[in-house]
Parts: sequence; structure tokens; C-alpha cells
Amino acid sequence: MESKVIRSVAIAGGGIVGWSAAAALKRRLPSLSVSVIAVPPPADALADGVVCTLPSIVDFHRDLGLSEADTVLRAGSGYRLGTRFEGWSAPDYVHAYGSYGTQLGSAAFHQYWVRAAKTGAAIPFDHYSAAAMLAREDRFAPPEAVARAGLGAIGYGLHINRPRYREMMRAFALHLGASEVAGPISGVRLSDGSIETVQAGKRDVSADLYVDASGPSAQLRSRLDEDWEDWSEWLPHDRVHFAQSQSPAEPSLLDRAVAFPGGWWWQAATPGGTYCGIAYSSHRLTEADAARVLTEQAGVTAVEPAVAIRQGRWSRPWLGNCVAIGDAAVAAEPLEWTNLHLAHGAIDRIVSMMPDRDFSAVELWDYNRQVGAEADRVRDFLALHHSTASGKQAAALPPSLEHTLRQFRERGRLPFFEEETFSRDSWLAVLLGQSVIPSRVDPLTDALAPSETEAAMVQLRETIATFVDRLPRYPDYLQQLGQKAA
Amino acid sequence: MLALPPIRVVVVGGGTAGWMTAAALRALLPDRCTVDLVESQEIGIVGVGEATLPHIRGFNERLGIDEAEFMAATRATFKLGIDFENWGRIGDRYIHPFGTFGRGQGTVDFHQYWLRLRHCGAAVRELEQYSMACMIARLGKFDLPAPDPEDIASTFNYAYQFDATLYAPFLRARAERLGCRRTEGRIVDIELNGESGDIEAVILADEQRIEGDLFIDSSGFASLVIGKALEEPFEDWSKWLPCDRAVAMPCRTRTAVTPYTSAIAMDAGWRWRIPLQHRTGNGYVHASAFISEEDATAALVEAVEGDALAEPRILRFRAGRRTRSWVRNCIAVGLSSGFLEPLESTSIYLIQAAITALVELFPDKPIADSDRNEFNRVIDLEYDRIRDFLILHYHATERSDSPFWDYVRTMEIPDSLAEKLELFRRRGRVVKYREGVFLEASWIAVYLGQRVTPMGHDMRADNPSAEALARGMETLHGQIHAAVERMPDHATMLSRYCPMAV
Repeated sequence: MESKVIRSVAIAGGGIVGWSAAAALKRRLPSLSVSVIAVPPPADALADGVVCTLPSIVDFHRDLGLSEADTVLRAGSGYRLGTRFEGWSAPDYVHAYGSYGTQLGSAAFHQYWVRAAKTGAAIPFDHYSAAAMLAREDRFAPPEAVARAGLGAIGYGLHINRPRYREMMRAFALHLGASEVAGPISGVRLSDGSIETVQAGKRDVSADLYVDASGPSAQLRSRLDEDWEDWSEWLPHDRVHFAQSQSPAEPSLLDRAVAFPGGWWWQAATPGGTYCGIAYSSHRLTEADAARVLTEQAGVTAVEPAVAIRQGRWSRPWLGNCVAIGDAAVAAEPLEWTNLHLAHGAIDRIVSMMPDRDFSAVELWDYNRQVGAEADRVRDFLALHHSTASGKQAAALPPSLEHTLRQFRERGRLPFFEEETFSRDSWLAVLLGQSVIPSRVDPLTDALAPSETEAAMVQLRETIATFVDRLPRYPDYLQQLGQKAA
Repeated sequence: MLALPPIRVVVVGGGTAGWMTAAALRALLPDRCTVDLVESQEIGIVGVGEATLPHIRGFNERLGIDEAEFMAATRATFKLGIDFENWGRIGDRYIHPFGTFGRGQGTVDFHQYWLRLRHCGAAVRELEQYSMACMIARLGKFDLPAPDPEDIASTFNYAYQFDATLYAPFLRARAERLGCRRTEGRIVDIELNGESGDIEAVILADEQRIEGDLFIDSSGFASLVIGKALEEPFEDWSKWLPCDRAVAMPCRTRTAVTPYTSAIAMDAGWRWRIPLQHRTGNGYVHASAFISEEDATAALVEAVEGDALAEPRILRFRAGRRTRSWVRNCIAVGLSSGFLEPLESTSIYLIQAAITALVELFPDKPIADSDRNEFNRVIDLEYDRIRDFLILHYHATERSDSPFWDYVRTMEIPDSLAEKLELFRRRGRVVKYREGVFLEASWIAVYLGQRVTPMGHDMRADNPSAEALARGMETLHGQIHAAVERMPDHATMLSRYCPMAV
């Protein structure tokens, strides 16, 4: 047994994804020898290009033993609590990370809300979420303070400063003992359906396991098979532009995702500047059209050239001695900011499921099943935004999303799926935010009279409002944080 | 809002399944339904002393049932798990506990550290020595779990062993108080609507006709509505679970009242031992293809420990389930929907799963297809996962001392189980479900207890030094032992907490 243990890992790709994988592997499996072929991330690698991240990044840092002094203050990150969806449905709504509503009776909170909505008496659903109201008001409180106030859970993601964040992760990985090999990758030698060596610059790099973090071209993984699951039928956007903007000048906890005919654009105001972008379908819009949307609507002055994406995933991201992660494994438009999250999910699983050098089929099957299920539900969540936006014609849906929507539209039920990224409250925030109202009211709501639940809901809103009002504005909070650290 | 007319629910059969359903519907959806329950004193109920899973506590709680009152009324004892004897090999013994191994809090599963120490040849105790539930059971103690999650005495859960013939009447009193109407009578006919094929009414021997919108078939093996009237096909699983008979016989308790159920492997099946406050239930579940009813009965009589309290009684069944549990306006709850042998005490759990799904998907008139389909999807999943877990007990064995064990050891198993087994053999990994009745510790207990030995272990378990790990485990074992020692004996706890009326 001992003789088959994996001893060395070579990571192709020197972007955030590659260095994060190196740090996690060295930190959590210190006996491994880890080398990174430090090819800079290509422009079309979204996990490296998008500044917005989900709350799972905070868990990833904690597992690595990285403090917020490292990941926020020194790396120039900011906090983010959610996204404001504008133009998807009227009125705009906020998908924030945290609980929506509170326990009222034996039915779920949203069922009482639905009952009220049917009589026209409902205030928007996000007004019952502390995270969403903090985000709307741009005031910040740490999750513990929100919990202490009895307002449930909130989570925050980070706005990362990409070059500084990548450098922080690189320094950490090197400190832990990872080594760096200069690129570019000039060749990949195969033997017997496995990778034998990777030619990096003038050197040959060999390892027991190869992690492909080289971006969408998947320079290693693509050599082994071409079994790609295409999502374009459900997620047709195939072009993305990145851009920067002068406004707003102050950082914000709340990002914007704005729908327009043919696509959507985003704006994220971070401590390091305001970042924008646009995702659209090349069948409906030219690059010039897209650039015009960004300049006219988002106040952008210079737009980077378009990058092409093809949304989908490898059927088997792990094949033999090569596992693809990040954009090399799965491509999804940045709506809901899942790109780096999916890379972290893959890295965590590689650490916890590390096989032997014989790469047994059943262990790789289990890995591929999990990351596949996770990616597919992210796909469903993104397709949900598009398919339920107002003015959209009914389009084909992935069967698992169709199941979710049918159950929800019928009676507000959210069927359970394994490996789900987004919580039930996140699904509810988008479903109810986009006015998908169940046709029936849950009979379990009967036990509480509408007047009782209305009173409880008014009280919840007031408690949230009082709590939020007392808090510092987010830019002031950041400033205080910086001063405390200095 | 428009008040909908209540759905008229007719419950066919008044055993555990029928009364659990009636009580839950009236308690949770009082404005949505009326409930008529039809039962006949002439027809006995199958309940033979029931061992349960911890989920039943949630059910009772939701109905506002006081635990001590319920336990006294059903002459119940506490149950920390199941003690399996002679399964991997004759002489083997392990507990499937309702609780964790270790503290169950680390990012790396406890058994991975345990495997790692084994693999490097370090001295290490049996895995059960690091489980609170196992150790309480072994020492015959019991106390309620501690509320503080940091306390080692919080790392277990429990269920009950009770007299099922007393649970139904206990629930009946409640259901009737909540407005359920009970009709005594034998059903002689079921009237279908000529056009829709839906059930209109049941007709009793005295010519009473009871109409309804929704029919709960809790008629047990008879499966009067979903099986006989609607002819929903039965999927036969006997090629994987060949046991099709049980002979049951209660006896006086001669040894201790154990806080666990015993499942003792026999030549052609296995024997249960379920201690209640007033007696011990016994039964031999066996495969008629491998042993006659007479021989099985003789083997049971021979094996029971105390004086018999009744004549041996034979039950006949077949493993499997109806293709669908909800067909038209009929929902099967309990044995009418399918049967899985009581090896892992899942019968009442399956009733409860059906009731939970019914409450969550309670229909309007007319019934939406999406409600029916979702119900069936949820119930199928429950059945299929339990099925695999049961097959594991038979298949993962080294026994070759009888044709029965030769058959189950060498039979083809479902792919879904073969994958799980192989994954465990490789590196001790358990396919994780976030929902589902048996969680990780259950699978680990059975795999290791039945000699499915992983070749490798989680690489993360190599990080601490072997010495530090061994020390940590000894400390943990000491903490568990001390906490167990502080607990009262199971019998003392029962007499203090919930003594039955004599």
C-alpha cells in the first residue's frame, strides 16, 4: 500500500486557482511535494478575472489557517453581502447571503410570505433578510453581531484585488514549501492515456498527479479526452468583456447585475476600484453593441476586448492522473459569482479524496459525481435567473431545474439536491425576487392566522431596521478596520 | 382568502400506520381534512414489539406527545442501537450505534485516524470503544443526551423499543380527541369511479358506505386498496433479500433489559431480541427456500432465553415495494406500500417518512400530478437506500457454513451498493448523503463490523504523529468511559423516568 501513495503534484497554472490549489495541498497534505508551473492566467479564465467571490472563500481561508489580516487587510480585499438584480423583474431585488425570515410556525417562513403576497399585502421578500437590508443600506456588521441581535445568519464574500490576492496566495504557498517552475507550457507528453511529463519552459516536469488550472484551454486535461457537456442550450451567453469605471468612487457591499435585452452587465465597487463587465450572446449582440451598453449604462471609459466562453463542463474532470479545476473544468458566466467557488470546491475535494497512484475508477467516479452534481446545480441556479426573468419566453430547462420550478410553482416546495451550492434561502431570494409565486398556499400555514403572521413580519422588519440604523456605513467601517490594523 | 372545503380522508386499517397517519393529519392539518378511520377488531395487527429509529422522537414531539407518558403507556425501553452477533463470522459482534465514533466534529472522520493507526501497526482499541452510544449500550446504562454539544455525553441519540400493539391505541385516543372518526367494520368492497378510476368509497360488511376524496391504505400486507383494488404492481426484491418468513414468540425477560436491540445471525436468517419493560420479543426471520417453518420454529424455541409467553406465530411476506406508493387518490402507508425486513428497524421510519411527505404534499382537489410524483420520488429514494443498507448486512460476510450464507455472500448486488462497498474498501470512504435515514456512522459500523477492511485511509489522517494520535484516542476513551460510568443503569432509569402501570 505504502508504495502507491501519491508523493508529488504538479499544478499547471500560476493564477489564483493554481496558487490556491498549491497552498491547500501543502497546508493540508504537507507530505506532498507540490510544484506550480506558473503560467499567468489567460484573459478568459473567469475564476481569475472576476473580483466578486462567495462566502465559501471565507471557509477556504479558515481551513488554510489564513486570517483576515492576511486575506482582507494585506491583500486589499473588501466585503460583499450580495447582489442587486436590476431589470430582471420589477421591482429590483437583492440576493444576499444569509437567512430570509424567521421561524413562525410549522410551515417555512416563505410560505407565510406567499400567503400574504396572494392578498397583495406583502413587502418585498428581501426586506426580511438582515443581510439584504445591510447590503441595501451599505452598512456592515460581522455575522456574530447579527446572530447576537437575533437576526439569523449572514455570510459575506470578498471583493478581491486580483494581483494582490494572487501574490498573497503565491507567497503563502511558497512559504509552505511549494516550488515554482517558470512557464510557458510547451508540450505535454502522454503515455498509455496518462500524462508522463509536462514541458515547462526548458524543463520537464513530472509528478504523480497533475492538476490542470491552466484556464479554459485545459492544456493538460484536454489531451486525454474531449467529453465536454455543453450548456449553451440553457446558458447561451458566449462573450464576456471586463472593464473598469470611475464611479461610484466609494466601495459598496452590494454589487449590481443589470439585465438588458441580449445579456446583462455588472458593477462591483471595491476598495481597489470599481470593476464592471458584461456577458451576452454573440448571436444577438456585436462587440461594439456590448461596449456601448457598458459605456452608456455603467459609465465605463475603456472596455477590454471580448473573451469567448463556452458554458459547460467536462463530464469527467478527473481522468487518470490528471484533474482539471477552475475554468479548465467548468465554465459558467459570472452571474452569481461561482467561478472561484467551484475551483475551491474542487480543491477541497482533491485534498479530502486524494487517491493512490493507481487512480482507482471508483474513487475518481465519486469525485466526478460530486463536482459534477455541484456544477450542474450552479448551472440550474444561473438558468433560473434567465428563465424566470420578466419578458422571457419559456425555453428548454435542464430537467433538474424543471423539477425545482414545477414543485415551487405548484406549492412553494424546494426539492432537495445533493451538493447544492446555494442555500434554500438563496433559491427563495431569486425565485420570489423574480416573482415566481406558487399557485397554492402551504396548508401548514393554516395554524397561524394571517393577522398573527403579519404582526410577526412587521416586527421582524422593524428589528432589522433598528439594528441596521445603528451600524457604521461600510466605507467608514473599512477605514476603522484599516486604522485598527495600522 | 377562499376557504377550501376540507379533503375527506379515509384511512383503511387501524394498526400503527393507520393511527399514526390519522393522528398526524388531525394534529397538523385540522382545517384541511376530515379523517375517517375504518378498522376491524377481527383483523389482528402485525406489530410484534417494535424497535425504532431515533426519528420517531421528532414525530412524537411534533404531535406534542410527552415522552415519559408515551413510554409508560407502550411499556417502552430506550434503544441506543443494534447489537449484531455472528454476521461477519460466527462469534463476531458489533454495535450499530445511534451516535458518532469519536466526537464527530473534526473535518477528517474519526475512523480515518483509527484506520491510520491500524495501518501503521499501532495498538488501538476496537472502534466501539470510542463511541459514546456503543459504550453506554455495552455497560447497560442510560441517560438522556447532554444538551451542550461540547459535552462528550451529547454525542449520541436514541430511539425506543416498545409494544406496537399498545402504540396504536395510544395514538387512537389522541386522534379521536383531535376529531378523527373511527368506524368499526370489515371492508368488503371498494367502489371505483367508472370514469376516472379514482376510489369513491369503501363498503363495509354491514353495508355502510364511507366516501372520501383521499384514501390512505394502511391495511398492512392485505394491501386492500393500492394492491387489490388499484392493482399497483409489486417490485420483488427477494433475489437480494431472500428472507420471506418470520416466526415470533415473546418470552419473559431473564437477563438484563438491554438498552439495545439484538440481531443474531442464524443458519437461514437472523433472530431478533427486543427487550421491553414487561417482556422480551423474539423472532426468527428466515428464508423459506433454505429452512422449513417447523425447523425455524424449533430453532427459535431452542434459542429464546426465558419462558415463552405465547405460542410461536408465523408471518409471511416478500421483500419489495409497490412501484408507486401514491396512485390516483390512494396513498399507501406502511406494509401496504412495501416490506423490508426489520433488521434495521425501519418499518415505523418508513411510515413516518410517508406521513411527512404527505403532510408536505397534502393535495387539493383535484390532486395535482406534481404532488403525486414528488411523493413517489421521495418514498422510492427512502426504500432504495434502506434496501442497499440491508443487503450489505447479508452480502458482507465470510460465513460459508450454510447454503443460505453461501447464497447471500455470492449473489449479485445492486450497482449502487457495489460502488459504495468498493469505495469503502479502497479508503474507508462513505458515500455521503445530506438527507437519508442512515448517516455515515451507520455505514461505517456495519462495514467494519462485518470485516470490510479498507486498504488505505484518508491522506489527511497522516498529519498528526502516531504517538499524539494514540494519546488523543486514549484520552477520548477515558472521557467516554467516565461519562458512561456516571449514568444510571438502564433499568434504574426506566423505573425512575417512565415506569409502566402494573
